[in-house]
Amino acid sequence: MPPTGTPEGTASAAKITVLMVPKLKGIDYFNACERGAREAAEALGNVELIFDGPVEDKADAQNQLIDGYIAQQVHVIAVSPNDPDSIAPVLKKARDRGIHVITWDADANPERSGREFFINQASAEAVGQALVDEMAAQKGPEARVAIVTSSLTAANQNAWIKAMKAHMAAKYPRMTLVCEPKPSEENQQLAFQVAQDLLKTYRDLDGVFAISSVAFPGAADAVQQAKLSGKVAVVGLATPKPMKQWVDAGTVKTVILWNPVDLGYATIQAARALVDGQLAPGTRTLAAGRLGNLTVVGDQVLLGPPMKFTAENIAQYDF
Amino acid sequence: MGQDTLGAQGVVLMRHVPALGIAREDWVLAGLLLATVVVVSLLTPAFLQPENLLEMSRFFVETGLIALAMAPVIITGGIDLSVGSIVGLSVVVMGLAWRLGHLPPALGVLTGLFTGLLCGLGNGLCVARLRLPPLIVTLATMALYRGLALGLGANAPVSDFPPAYYELGQAYYTIPGGLQVPQQLPILLLVLCFAWLALHRSVLGRYVYAIGHNERAAWFAGVPVARVKMALYAFCGLVSGLAGAIYLSRVATAKADAGTLMELDVITVCVLGGVSITGGRGGVAGTMLGLLIVSSLVRGLTLARVPSEDQKIVLGFVLLLAATVYQLLQWRGGRSGPSGSRSSGDERRIPTAEGE
Repeated sequence: MPPTGTPEGTASAAKITVLMVPKLKGIDYFNACERGAREAAEALGNVELIFDGPVEDKADAQNQLIDGYIAQQVHVIAVSPNDPDSIAPVLKKARDRGIHVITWDADANPERSGREFFINQASAEAVGQALVDEMAAQKGPEARVAIVTSSLTAANQNAWIKAMKAHMAAKYPRMTLVCEPKPSEENQQLAFQVAQDLLKTYRDLDGVFAISSVAFPGAADAVQQAKLSGKVAVVGLATPKPMKQWVDAGTVKTVILWNPVDLGYATIQAARALVDGQLAPGTRTLAAGRLGNLTVVGDQVLLGPPMKFTAENIAQYDF
Repeated sequence: MGQDTLGAQGVVLMRHVPALGIAREDWVLAGLLLATVVVVSLLTPAFLQPENLLEMSRFFVETGLIALAMAPVIITGGIDLSVGSIVGLSVVVMGLAWRLGHLPPALGVLTGLFTGLLCGLGNGLCVARLRLPPLIVTLATMALYRGLALGLGANAPVSDFPPAYYELGQAYYTIPGGLQVPQQLPILLLVLCFAWLALHRSVLGRYVYAIGHNERAAWFAGVPVARVKMALYAFCGLVSGLAGAIYLSRVATAKADAGTLMELDVITVCVLGGVSITGGRGGVAGTMLGLLIVSSLVRGLTLARVPSEDQKIVLGFVLLLAATVYQLLQWRGGRSGPSGSRSSGDERRIPTAEGE
């Protein structure tokens, strides 16, 4: 049964075994990824999926697990590494044994691990653009805004900030950042205080970007307690479930994130395509079943624009 | 208890742990290992392949090394909860030594060993000289050493080591027959020999059991209790440093979370191997059998595609099973009296006296 969007011939190809390894097993986010992966394996019909990962926060657990599966000749190992470097030797070993290796959700050191592709859930540009566009939609292209980030050295957040600034300059030249990004570390209380200070210092502030799963609830709480819901927009990145209370209260209109179900789905599609040779160096697009054609840039498969969770749909998501 | 009793006890001990340091419990363990191997080989034929068994050893060497040093500590009635943190701290120090001094691998490993030794001496000082309870001391140093590791390693993990650093944990010796033996396996065998000689063939070993059976009696009999304990905790630290060096080499990264929760793996291996947490019992052979059982279970069940959470359940049951069997053996030993089995009733009563 050839699924829609997949080229002819795929379904008849021999069954393959894919080992998919999350950072940690049993948490909402990765459960959602697993659901998507199972959906893709079923739709393809010729993929046997083993979804297994560490059940405790132990530095070495992924290595040991993956090494065990190397011995039993799986076809593809797809991993979301806890650490980009310490996972490298075992992935290299898998590559040396002729096993395909891809990463998803988080990348491994590409040179040292020899991984072939990274299924990237959201490029920095896409995230930056989605955040800024959302702010412009809520507060207009001339909004005065501030950013609450996690820590000033966080690689992901810095890449997003760079992309946000670039997109503002290009598309909304009159949108103003009232100050440099403020750090909140991984501390929701600090995020709350930082946002409170911003509201006091800049009385004409239109919106706050809160770009970590800790900063977002902290900032939303500050705006809500200052009774500025609706006047000051809070736009940010986080998993939807913890943000639901502020969306329901109307303080937050939109939560931006990728869809982890789709991420799992795309990963299995990519694994199958890799074995079939339809995903190889130089490939520009990947036919990924119900997700349609995904863009491939270099050695990264892009999941596409981030997803928006709003009051209408946020209740449907359990992660 | 006078010197006389201890002397008799010493003789009994040597009888209880006969020729090779193999106790009755060890035969139970050997049976358990055999059962484990049979079950997992039935589940997955790949398990018994020599390549798989050798590859498995790459992952148990670190735990096994520390277990060999932990067993004597537990036999004296002590415990060392800080071993995982010592691994972490040694790894971070080796990473820093490379980043700051670009030391060659041999010297880098030495900094790790030295760190481990210092940590072990710190534990020993508190336990042996200040006479603080080992559980509290090492619970504290577990936090202390991990904190130091996190503090020192805060500036991102070190992973730009030259390839020579990866020998210890990733290279292989090729033996006749074309089999690849991981380089760290001979290290474990060496430490195994040393631990066996020290525990089952030396005066030090007899002191260890004497302390575990009755520390006060041992002290009255002239056993240098403090020095023995000091040596055991220092050795435990040193070996944890060694395990850290192998770990660093295996994962090619020096990061402060190395060795997290490792103390639990090590204690599991020891306890499954018949080392009594109340002291006085256990040996090198049992500890190694415990290591092989745990490793075979985890590896075998992974090969059989049993999910990680279900593996934990199986492991928990095996541990309970072993504990039950030991208890039954002890009861029987206690009842059967001096003429019953090789190990006399005398010897049985001493460790159980405190537990009853």
